[in-house]
Amino acid sequence: MHRRICFLRSEGRDAEAGQVADRELAIAVADARRDSESGAEADALLAALFAEGEARVADAVAFAEVLLPMLAQQLRPASPPVAWAPEGAPQARRSGRTPGRAPDIADFIDEMLAQDRAGIR
Amino acid sequence: MPIATAEKQPALLDSPFTAAPGPASSRPAAGKAAVLLIGLDLGTNKSCVLSGAPGSSDIAVSKVVPSVVGYVKDGIVDGIITGNARILYGEDALRQMLHVDLAAPLAEGVIARPEAARDFLLHIRALADPTGRADIRAVVGVPANAGEPAREMIRRSAQGIFSRILLIPEPFLAALGFRDDSRVKQPGYVDPVVNSLFIDIGGGTSDLCLVQGYFPTRDDQVSIPFAGDAIDDIIFGELNRTYPNNGLSRITVREIKEAHAYVGPSRKPLEVKVVIGGKSRTLELGDAIGNACNSLMDRIYPALTSLIEAASSDSVVTLLQNIIITGGGSQIRGIDTVLQKRLSDDGYESPKVRLAGQDFRRYVAIGALKAARAARENQWQVLLA
Repeated sequence: MHRRICFLRSEGRDAEAGQVADRELAIAVADARRDSESGAEADALLAALFAEGEARVADAVAFAEVLLPMLAQQLRPASPPVAWAPEGAPQARRSGRTPGRAPDIADFIDEMLAQDRAGIR
Repeated sequence: MPIATAEKQPALLDSPFTAAPGPASSRPAAGKAAVLLIGLDLGTNKSCVLSGAPGSSDIAVSKVVPSVVGYVKDGIVDGIITGNARILYGEDALRQMLHVDLAAPLAEGVIARPEAARDFLLHIRALADPTGRADIRAVVGVPANAGEPAREMIRRSAQGIFSRILLIPEPFLAALGFRDDSRVKQPGYVDPVVNSLFIDIGGGTSDLCLVQGYFPTRDDQVSIPFAGDAIDDIIFGELNRTYPNNGLSRITVREIKEAHAYVGPSRKPLEVKVVIGGKSRTLELGDAIGNACNSLMDRIYPALTSLIEAASSDSVVTLLQNIIITGGGSQIRGIDTVLQKRLSDDGYESPKVRLAGQDFRRYVAIGALKAARAARENQWQVLLA
């Protein structure tokens, strides 16, 4: 359950992660504490479990970071789609923005990260 | 295997019951450190750090620091070094160069000495956050074509120092920093982010970048491993050839260059007073400095024209009006006029080359801090401690 929370957070789904943490996990942790002989022992066990879960999720996400660009490189179409281009700028290499909306800095960062993932920069 | 970061991964919870982190806030929740944003131009010779809180436009710290770490030599008598520090940074390290082993963390724009880089980043952190308690997120400028190994080296050096990081090419950050946000919507204001060509001449690399309203691709950027340091090397070699055993250090040569650098026709006589062996001497350095600086022009110009020619025909006329030089190299006398004349002589349509101005050392860091303030939560790369 805790690993699911970590995965949700890794995908930016913080609200869902918060819900699982506040409801399901909170109940499970309360049960574990109740069934344990001492609260300190239960806390130590839970802390170890959470740490292990976080480490495994972090490793998995980092592994995906490496694997995805490699897959994208192999599966990438010859020409990326053209979705938006500012006036007076070359009509090429743009993607992902709402047509007609002026780009903001976060849009640029999105483009940079997309280029990084696709291995084209 | 690059495992230093996990992109799109907000900080893992210390406790599963902690509220989900929302957008970066400078206000600390109970038991949680306040977020401090840093814009960092990690330069080969000089670095610039700006810091500020999220959700504001205030700049709390703005410092330019020589990118150098000094490790105090063994056997230095107590009291010689203030506080008997073991490591000095920046100007302090240079002032005590007799008593320290100087280490430059970077060479040609990328980290060359990881341990020194880590110590330097610790110093940067201390400058930005003297309390040592803030949760630091940093946008760091990298050379235009820095490869993944160079980027990974920065992330590894920053592990445990910054909590999150974003690496963005320097010339693009320079364009963001140069942009006057208060005038973007004014008629007549030429937004450098919409259509310009930036030339950022630093210590290790000269970076050229087309900025045309989208994030530059690899084809829009050129990084040349020839910049201020290479000019120093040429002048240093020429000085030793012309004036053998002159005893001038590279730091002195750099100071001479910074005071007298020029491009274009020879500016002789260019007499420079130096102290050699305790005696004052006047050296004629017109040719040495001119030849060294002109060799930079010979490398930049082909890269500049290749980027101009890569621009679309409907954007190139405006682009030619917006060629902007920044970085330490923008202080070379005549660099704007010589480049402009060369373009004009080669038939380019009404080119206009200008200098970024007095904030030339800060534009990359200003752009980096703007990017830090604008970055969405899921765009940061989390540094796994």
